[in-house]
Amino acid sequence: MPVFKTPFNGYSVKFSPFYENQLAVATAQNFGILGNGRVHILQLTPNGPISELAAFDTADGVYDVCWSEAHDSLVIAASGDGSVKLYDLSLPPTNNPIRSFKEHTREVHSVDYNTVRKDSFLSASWDDTVKLWTVDRNASVRTFKEHAYCVYSAAWNPRHADIFASASGDCTTRIWDVREPGSTMILPAHDFEILACDWNKYDDCIIATASVDKSIKVWDVRNYRVPIAVLNGHGYAVRKVRFSPHRASAMVSCSYDMTVCMWDYMVEDALIGRYDHHTEFAVGVDMSVLVEGLLASTGWDELVYVWQHGMDPRAP
Amino acid sequence: MAMRDLVTGAPSCGETSSSSNPLGALANALIGSSSKTQERLKEIPTSVSTSSNGNFLAGVEEPLVTLPGSEFEHPLQPNIQGSHFLQGFHSVDQNRLSDVWDEIQRPQLPFAHGSPHMANIPLEHARLQPDLNGPPQQVLSSFLHSFVNSSHGGVPFRPASLPLLGLSEGDKQCIRDRSTIMARHFFADKSEDFINGQVNALLSSLEIDNHVRGRGPVPGRYPELEEYWNESLAMKPAPHVADGWINEFSQNRVGHADPNAWVQSFEQQHGANGWATEFEHEQSQLGMIGQMRGANIPNLAAMEQTRMLAHTLAQNSDPKFQNSKFLQFVSKMSRGEISIEENQFKPATISSGDWAAEYEQQHNGGQTWADQFAHEELSREPQGWVNEFSAEREQHGSVNDEWVNEFSKLNVNDDWADEFGRQVAEGAFGETSADGWAEAYDEYMNEQAALKQQSDASRGVYVFSDLNPYVGHPNPLKEGQELFRKGLLSEAVLALEAEVLKNPENAEGWRLLGIAHAENDDDQQAIAAMMRAQEADPANLEVLLSLGVSHTNELEQQAALKYLYSWLSHHPKYGSIAPQEQPISFYHADVARLFTDAAQMAPDDADVHIVLGVLYNLSREYDKAIESFKTALKLKPKDYSLWNKLGATQANSVQSADAILAYQQALDIKPNYVRAWANMGISYANQGMYEDSIRYYVRALAMNPKADNAWQYLRISLSCASRNDMLEACDSRNLDVLQKEFPL
Repeated sequence: MPVFKTPFNGYSVKFSPFYENQLAVATAQNFGILGNGRVHILQLTPNGPISELAAFDTADGVYDVCWSEAHDSLVIAASGDGSVKLYDLSLPPTNNPIRSFKEHTREVHSVDYNTVRKDSFLSASWDDTVKLWTVDRNASVRTFKEHAYCVYSAAWNPRHADIFASASGDCTTRIWDVREPGSTMILPAHDFEILACDWNKYDDCIIATASVDKSIKVWDVRNYRVPIAVLNGHGYAVRKVRFSPHRASAMVSCSYDMTVCMWDYMVEDALIGRYDHHTEFAVGVDMSVLVEGLLASTGWDELVYVWQHGMDPRAP
Repeated sequence: MAMRDLVTGAPSCGETSSSSNPLGALANALIGSSSKTQERLKEIPTSVSTSSNGNFLAGVEEPLVTLPGSEFEHPLQPNIQGSHFLQGFHSVDQNRLSDVWDEIQRPQLPFAHGSPHMANIPLEHARLQPDLNGPPQQVLSSFLHSFVNSSHGGVPFRPASLPLLGLSEGDKQCIRDRSTIMARHFFADKSEDFINGQVNALLSSLEIDNHVRGRGPVPGRYPELEEYWNESLAMKPAPHVADGWINEFSQNRVGHADPNAWVQSFEQQHGANGWATEFEHEQSQLGMIGQMRGANIPNLAAMEQTRMLAHTLAQNSDPKFQNSKFLQFVSKMSRGEISIEENQFKPATISSGDWAAEYEQQHNGGQTWADQFAHEELSREPQGWVNEFSAEREQHGSVNDEWVNEFSKLNVNDDWADEFGRQVAEGAFGETSADGWAEAYDEYMNEQAALKQQSDASRGVYVFSDLNPYVGHPNPLKEGQELFRKGLLSEAVLALEAEVLKNPENAEGWRLLGIAHAENDDDQQAIAAMMRAQEADPANLEVLLSLGVSHTNELEQQAALKYLYSWLSHHPKYGSIAPQEQPISFYHADVARLFTDAAQMAPDDADVHIVLGVLYNLSREYDKAIESFKTALKLKPKDYSLWNKLGATQANSVQSADAILAYQQALDIKPNYVRAWANMGISYANQGMYEDSIRYYVRALAMNPKADNAWQYLRISLSCASRNDMLEACDSRNLDVLQKEFPL
């Protein structure tokens, strides 16, 4: 299984929605506490090593990346200096970034591209806000300011173009409809900070939240008083959670306990796989939309792993 | 599909979930995943590899139109597509969106019209140093590494001393902010003290002052709560019970070598810090009760603050939620976002822990004492308080009777209770509200809040609305002015409340708020707001005049005379007429004489005539009042409130038919003038035209359902018109039924 060594600590990894062999990685120096950042665009070669297609340096750590759903060469990066940067892979690094959206007053922790209408993206920031952007405007379209502490993640609903969820350190997940002035639902999902959320790709009412309390909870927004499932198994804060694009009840998560876990929230023994290949905090994980069961993870051990579910990521 | 469909599981939603039949999908995936892969691969979005130099900007002409929600911050150009989009939502919210739409006259921000090379947008090139130019990277990197590693074993971070790194201020802040936030993630199951200890160890060894202010005021979790807490502490009248033990334990603390010791030892015993923090929180709440008990504070603002604090607390019934709120509150201090130097927070919280530890030692069992505490303390405390309060009330017997009567009309309680009920129904409070003591405590807080709300308003304290959506609005004043201009008074009131919460010294905000209330037929609130405006700006003529008018409406002659007199003495033109020293009591004749002089001095000043009109209303010399207002109207024909004043005066002098004409003038100028609609109804009722009066009342109430007087008038008119069948709709305040039955 191929491995790629990044010079800085990994923060996030995302598969391209257009090419099954491309992925983007966000990295930051010194664990993102201080220093530069770099966005890597990596290419998988059949049975070979991972090669680097492009790399873009930034003045501050990069905490997240996402691919444009509208154009195969565009990548959006979330920076520690509060800016959101747009890169065009078809242009040389000297011409990049082609945009820098600077409105957030603190670290931007996540970016997510709208997968339905494919015209806009969200950024979630430690300045307690989520902002809605389009690639063609320098100013944000809207600012969603209701959270009372850092917003760590914002994720579009996979079916409804106007609905997204945000996860915050104020211990709530909020559901928003961009056509409405305020949030449409407040989900006090955990008793500790919530670091990530993601929507089920098959049931547009199901959402998962990952928290510092070490658990992942799965919720049905139509009846959000009790979680559908509480997934315990991580030994430290759960950093990211993603639903499988191929199996309705499958999820992957990564944690400060340095492991990546596969879950099936519909069955009793929900933990169906654990990978402890990282030697530092595992903070980035993704599942390929184009190749079923293909996983990628990155962590503060400066390594990016790509492997097929069920295989050993470290196997040569 | 709207969110509500998604949530309620409308047909389309159910369909999607059934089509994906999760179990079937799982079976597929487990049995025949290879064939599925094949299918999937066909669906791969073919890469639209058009030339990539900026073609993604295609269709940039109308990017905003296609993006719902953008109108909230960036108004759209009115066009067919856009209005169609908006029409779709009129059914959802009839007024709000159309107002937003009205607002969409502002010019659109210019942007690049599909410029293929984006020449007009500054490109940001990667300008950065390959390495930080300050600190030697290797040293810092390995240093931070050991910090992060310390989280693995949960061992305290014991850094070696570092060579001088020469970090910039910005770097230091960055390290401080980020490491604190991250440490909170790593050490979630450690105590707050441990987290702070770790971060402080890192910071101090990097020679970073932990109390450096963050990058500007970073909003914390419950900024408003903290504000009130700060203020209520700051204006604390005298040391009370809660402070007693705090001081005592701060003194005891001197002997302790390691303030964290008890926390760690306790954790060893119990494995969790749950109850300790909960207890700290309860202590803080008890402290707040202490504040409440000192409610006789002369300072009205203090009462306002404590009342709102009670509200804030009362609206959360989940004890864990409250608990973590407190955690965050403490954590903000560690982030240096609260100035620790000049208040008692730091000793207070730490010593509360000490106290808890000591208590724990005596009772040897966390659970039992916690239960005991919950049962004894909490059940006793509220009752004690209630008794005390009722005792206090009896002392103020006569005053109380007045306001009790007054407020039985106003139903403040009901509003609040409804709101609360609604929230509970929506489940905003979460599941754990079942916890007995939390509910009992909440009820107690609610009662307290409601009682205070009543008593406050009766004493001229402004009562803020609950759940104000405009709190946090970037420019509530402007929003409020805009809403006011459009006649959306109830909304305007909320926006202006947000403004004066933000800027309590903004006289203009308070004044507009007062006017909005006056126009909304709520003179009590109008007076309260105007008094705050006057506090902020004692010489504001408009404020003084409004106060005079509002007090006249409430038939409070002395107060009205006082403010009208102040208006004169503060007026640059007529100040000289008023005697140098302010009289102790005012006589109507004296004040009226002064204004008659003023009117002779400047016969073209409409304001003087208005004041004269108000004065003659006070003395019930309606003919003279009508004369004065008519004179003023010649000078200011477009003043709708002046027309209303004329109409009201005419109505009072039994010239109701004339009054209707005057009100009609006012409404022609300002169709959303609730007060004029209600007054119109009164005039019809006075003429025995009850059926007509009902229509006007209903119209007024449709615009402001909170106009309690109008509801009463409506009830009378319904009775008089023998429409007892509609009394129920009136009592349940069912406007839909009433509007259907009595269209205007």
